[in-house]
Amino acid sequence: MEVELRYFGTVREAVGESTERRSVEAGTTVGSVLSDLEEEHSGLEGLLLEDGGVAGGVTVLRNGTHVTHFEGVETVLEGDDRLSITPPVTGG
Amino acid sequence: MANELPSVYGGEALRIHLGDGATETEAIDPGDARRFLGGNGFAAKQIAEHVPPEADPLGPENVLAMAVGPMNGTPFQSTSRGVLGFVSPMTNGFFDSTFGGTLPRAQKTTGFEVITLHGAAEELSYVYIDGDGAEIKPAGDLAGLDTYETCEAIREAEGEGYDTHVLAIGPAGENEVRFACSLHDSEIREGVAGRGGNGAVLGSKNVKAIAVSEGSFEPEPEGDLRGRAVQQMGRLMEDTEMLQEYGTAGLVNPINEMGKLGQRNMQTEQTDPENAEAVSGETLKTEYVTEDTTCANCAVKCGKHVTVESEGITDAKIPEFESLFGTATLQEVYEIERVIAANDLCDRLGMDTISWGVTVAFARECSEKGLLSEESPHLSFGDADGLVELAEKTAHREGVGDRIAEGSFRMAESLEAEAEKYLYGAKGLEFAAHSARGLKGMSIGYATGTRGGSHHDTRPTLQYDGNHDETTEGTPEFAARSQHFTALGDSLTQCRFVSEGGWGPRINENYTEAINLATGWDLSVEEVERIGERVYNLERLINVSRGVADREADTLPHRVMNEPISEGPAEGMYCPPEELESMLDEYYAARGWNDNGHPTTDTVERLDIEDVAETV
Repeated sequence: MEVELRYFGTVREAVGESTERRSVEAGTTVGSVLSDLEEEHSGLEGLLLEDGGVAGGVTVLRNGTHVTHFEGVETVLEGDDRLSITPPVTGG
Repeated sequence: MANELPSVYGGEALRIHLGDGATETEAIDPGDARRFLGGNGFAAKQIAEHVPPEADPLGPENVLAMAVGPMNGTPFQSTSRGVLGFVSPMTNGFFDSTFGGTLPRAQKTTGFEVITLHGAAEELSYVYIDGDGAEIKPAGDLAGLDTYETCEAIREAEGEGYDTHVLAIGPAGENEVRFACSLHDSEIREGVAGRGGNGAVLGSKNVKAIAVSEGSFEPEPEGDLRGRAVQQMGRLMEDTEMLQEYGTAGLVNPINEMGKLGQRNMQTEQTDPENAEAVSGETLKTEYVTEDTTCANCAVKCGKHVTVESEGITDAKIPEFESLFGTATLQEVYEIERVIAANDLCDRLGMDTISWGVTVAFARECSEKGLLSEESPHLSFGDADGLVELAEKTAHREGVGDRIAEGSFRMAESLEAEAEKYLYGAKGLEFAAHSARGLKGMSIGYATGTRGGSHHDTRPTLQYDGNHDETTEGTPEFAARSQHFTALGDSLTQCRFVSEGGWGPRINENYTEAINLATGWDLSVEEVERIGERVYNLERLINVSRGVADREADTLPHRVMNEPISEGPAEGMYCPPEELESMLDEYYAARGWNDNGHPTTDTVERLDIEDVAETV
């Protein structure tokens, strides 16, 4: 199945693109996608995951809803899910 | 020691009587320093003591206080902000609006921790302040100049270049547009005291600008504050990377992704990703940002300048996130170059982009619904050119601009009752960008905020991390404690963005250690939080005395309580009346207020503010 990944801010700069569609196996979790991204992009190493969860301040949305309202990094993705990833943001 | 003033304090309050130019000083009481800390706390105390409850916000009895914090001028990062305290012509209650740049640091060196303007000048003037006191100088030739022009003209008149630090109003302030702001054009960045109508208060006093030259006072921390600041530096820079790269505009895309970014006067809360991208921090950085700018003693550099050749704009201040909400998404205007033009115009004319933008969006919906009788070609959603035209008309009170200049709540009073359904604000002040429907913490935070629709009473930051965004459980206490955090931060005059990122979004050991190192006190975390609580309760007492703070006033607009978000990830979210009432019960109980939202005698005694309470 495929999921859509959307990147913002400095995460986008590290990945080098704003969106991508990615093929993942059934049962893939949010955590495994974040782990893969950390491995694939040196600029993201250690930035997305921390102590077995999403790193502090990093916003990961599944179809617009914060993954803390699902199962956090254990949230299982479904086909055509949209995962939006934003680094820590303050201000506003 | 409570009976000695710590050496970070300059030691005096300066009162300026605008009518005759007389000045007087008063020593800062060491006990007051410990109770109210500075900045916000000092300003609130001045307003409580010197503004009668019945005073007209735009009359001479109102007072404008300009205050700095104890750590301004020390190594503690980003404490170089200043606070303007006054009774707001928008809310008729206490208001404090902060600004950055270099002027507050210059004020610190004068030794005057708080400067108050009383009465009104007979003719348009500017107030010049240095370490020796103050002088009222004529400014008739500055009438009609914009904020930047005024700052430049006064620098030229004083002949010291940027060593004269100037805060000015524009035509909007002179015309008493109720949400007029003031702008400080410093050598290293602009600072805008944006909200509450401080520019209108200055205009009503015939004060075109305040100019400050440095004095000789140097604050000396009692302990190794520099070492503690250095220790925090790594985390500060790491956690503010987005601010460094994009400024606050970096919030546009992620909050739109959540479906909590108002569109079309809050008829919806999400736009197509392409539209959000067009007005995002990412686009601004890629296409328009020319340089980073910063306040005194701040390495974060969240300020940016933008250049737009098609608009003839060179190195203008970047629109902040809140401004992009007010002037872009809420208008369904995604032509970023026109949005930048409208924002630059608001800065020059001296108008709060949030209140102006929300009021224009309100007027546009009223026009759409046939409630606004004025024929105006600029009142359609999506009209980017009209946006720019309306900025000029508002500042000069021309045509429909004269009604917009009163703010959305007063405009609604002049229309059919149906218009109230389209308001978006509380206590007379329009809400900022953080959704009153989509964030439960903002629902109760806005409803109870002493400033009305301000996002610097209860903060949204933790809510975007999934805390108290979708549940009411524990949310009233969260909102109250966040209000303590902001009141404390504004009393320290520390930049909120940097404090949340580098020191923590709650009152904690970091702040406590720093305050103790600066002052030599031995406060606990609980005692530090009590300072914030004390200041917030004092603000509330001022508002109670003015008849603008009770259970009836602690409310939310019709749309927030009756119209769930219609689509998107946050579909169905709102704050129905019974939910608000339940949260109010819990909030008042947590605060020690009675059922009508008034601080009880026990609470006033617990917070050690009986003496000030008697004056309001």
